[in-house]
Amino acid sequence: MVVPLHKTSNTIAMMEYRKEEILLKAEKINLFFGEKQVLRDIDLCIKNIVRPGVTQGQVVSLLGRSGIGKTQLFRILSGLQKPTSGTVTGIDNKPIMQGDMGVVFQNYYLFEWRTIRQSLELAAKKNPQLKPTDIKDQIDQQAQLFNLTEHLNKYPQQLSGGQRQRASIIQQLLNGSNFLLLDEPFSGLDVIMLEKVVELLLKVSLSDELKTLILVSHDIETSVALADTTFILAQEDGKPGATIIKEVDLCERELAWEKDVKNKKEFANTVQEIKALL
Amino acid sequence: MKQLFAPFANMSRKVIYLLVIGQLLVALMLWHNLSHGLIPKPIKIAENFFALLPTKVFWDNILVSLVLTLKAMAISILVTLFFAYLSVVPFFSGLAKFLVKCRYLTLTGLIFVFTLLTQDGSQLKLSLLVFGIVPFFVTSFLSVITSIKNQEYDLCKTLRYNRWQTLYEVIIIGKADQVLEIIRQNFAISWLMITMVEGLSMSEGGIGTLLIKYNKYNDLGNVLAIQLSIFLLGLFFDFLLGFLKKWLFPYTKLQTQ
Ligand SMILES: Nc1ncnc2c1ncn2[C@@H]1O[C@H](COP(=O)(O)OP(=O)(O)OP(=O)(O)O)[C@@H](O)[C@H]1O
Ligand SMILES: [Mg+2]
Repeated sequence: MVVPLHKTSNTIAMMEYRKEEILLKAEKINLFFGEKQVLRDIDLCIKNIVRPGVTQGQVVSLLGRSGIGKTQLFRILSGLQKPTSGTVTGIDNKPIMQGDMGVVFQNYYLFEWRTIRQSLELAAKKNPQLKPTDIKDQIDQQAQLFNLTEHLNKYPQQLSGGQRQRASIIQQLLNGSNFLLLDEPFSGLDVIMLEKVVELLLKVSLSDELKTLILVSHDIETSVALADTTFILAQEDGKPGATIIKEVDLCERELAWEKDVKNKKEFANTVQEIKALL
Repeated sequence: MKQLFAPFANMSRKVIYLLVIGQLLVALMLWHNLSHGLIPKPIKIAENFFALLPTKVFWDNILVSLVLTLKAMAISILVTLFFAYLSVVPFFSGLAKFLVKCRYLTLTGLIFVFTLLTQDGSQLKLSLLVFGIVPFFVTSFLSVITSIKNQEYDLCKTLRYNRWQTLYEVIIIGKADQVLEIIRQNFAISWLMITMVEGLSMSEGGIGTLLIKYNKYNDLGNVLAIQLSIFLLGLFFDFLLGFLKKWLFPYTKLQTQ
C-alpha cells in the first residue's frame, strides 16, 4: 500500500519514539568449544523503546547463516549457558540468570508426560503476577487466542509442529518473563501459519512496555519486517568465530511497527543490504 | 510370502499370531517325535501339569514364592528409587554407581554373611533376593536417568524451576513410566533368583523347593511341568505390567506408535 501524500505528516508522528533505559546488555562475549572459537567479542545492547500513546515492547532479531552460532549466543543470552568470557546483564546491571528469560527452543520441546493443559498450569504457577484463581481463565483465554483450545488435553506427541510451537509460546508467556527468546520461530511453517505467528508475536510485543522478543532466525524478510532492531551475526575475514558485524536500526529507517512495511522500497534495500553481509 | 523375510516388513496381527502358533506347534511336534526315554514328551508334561493344577501343594508353594517375590520386588524398588533419584545429588552418586557394580558379586559367596546377619530363613531369603535384584534395578534406572536429554532440564530452567523441582518433574514424574518398564524387565531376574534362593532355605516351601524335591526323585515330568507354570506366571506378570503401564501412562503408548 502506498501512503497518500497528505498523510505523510501523520505517519511521521506515528513513528515518534525514544530509546530509554538498557534492558539487556551483552559485553565482550567469547565462546570456545575446546580450541574452536564459535563466538568472538560480541557486544550488544537492547534499550527500552518508548512511543507516545502505544504500549510498545521491543522486537529484536538476530540473523545469521546456519551453523554460525545463533543458538549458542541465544543460550548465552538466556543464561542457560555460560560464555567462556564476557557478561550478560539486564535492567540495573543485574546479571541475567537462567529463568529470567522465557525460551522457545528450536524444536519446541515440551514435557512429553504432561498434557498441554498441565504444562501450561505448571508454567503459570511459577508466575508471581498470576493469582492461582486466575490461572484457569488465563489458560483458556490464551488457548483461545492461539487456536489450541481443542488440544489442551492432548499430549505433545499428539500435536503438529506448529501446535507445539504455539503451546511452547503460551507456556513461556504464562510463565511471565519479560524476555521471550525464540529460536527459529519461522521454520517449517506454511505461509498462512507464518502470518499468524508474526501477528501473534506482534500482539505479544504490544502487550507490555517492557516485553522484549528476541528472534533468532535465518528468514531475513520476516525478521526484518517484524523487528525494530536487527543484529547480524557473521564471520569477519580472517578472524575466528562469529561476531556481530552490524546492527541495523529499523526504527531509524522507518521500517518498524508498520503493517505494510514489506511494500516499502527501503525495506527491499535493507533486505538486500543484509543479504550481502551474511 | 516374500514379505515374511523382509526386514521391517509390517505384518498384520493375525499373521503374526498364526506364525507364532505354527512355529510353536512345529517345535512341539519335533520334540514329541525326537525325544526318547530320558526327556519326557510334551504330552506327558501337559498331563503332569494338569495333574498338578488342582493340588493344594502346588498352589500353596506358588503362593509362598509369589509373596516372597513381590515383597522383595517392593523393597528393591524403594531402595532403587531412593538411590536412583538421589544419584543426581553428588553425595549419593558414588554409592549409586557402586550398587551397579554389585551385579558382579555372586550371591553364593554371600550366603554365609547373610545367614549371620539375618534371624530366620524367610529373612535370609528376602535379603538375598533384595540384594540380588537391586543392582539390576539400579543399573536400568541409572541408564534411564543418564539418557535424559539436556533439553528437559533446559526447559525446567527457563520455567524457573529450582533443582529439587527439576528433579521432581523430570526424573520422578517424567520417568515414572520407566519404573514400571524396569520392573517388568527385571521381574524375570527376580523370578529366576527365587528358585535359587528357595533352595537355600527349604523350611517354608515355595516353588523352588518343590522343584528341588522333584529333581531329587528324578521326576522330570513334574519338574518340567513346574517349569511350565513358572514360565506361564512370568508371562502373566509381563502382560499385567505392560497393561498397567499403558493404563497409567497413556503417553507411552503414543510414543511407540
Ligand atoms: N557442544 C558442541 N561442541 C562443539 N561444537 C559445537 C557444540 N554445539 C555447537 N557447536 C558448534 O557451534 C557452531 C554454532 O552452532 P549453533 O547451533 O549456534 O548454530 P546456529 O547458528 O544456531 O545454526 P542453525 O541455524 O542451523 O540452527 C556450529 O559450528 C557447531 O558445530
Ligand atoms: Mg540454531
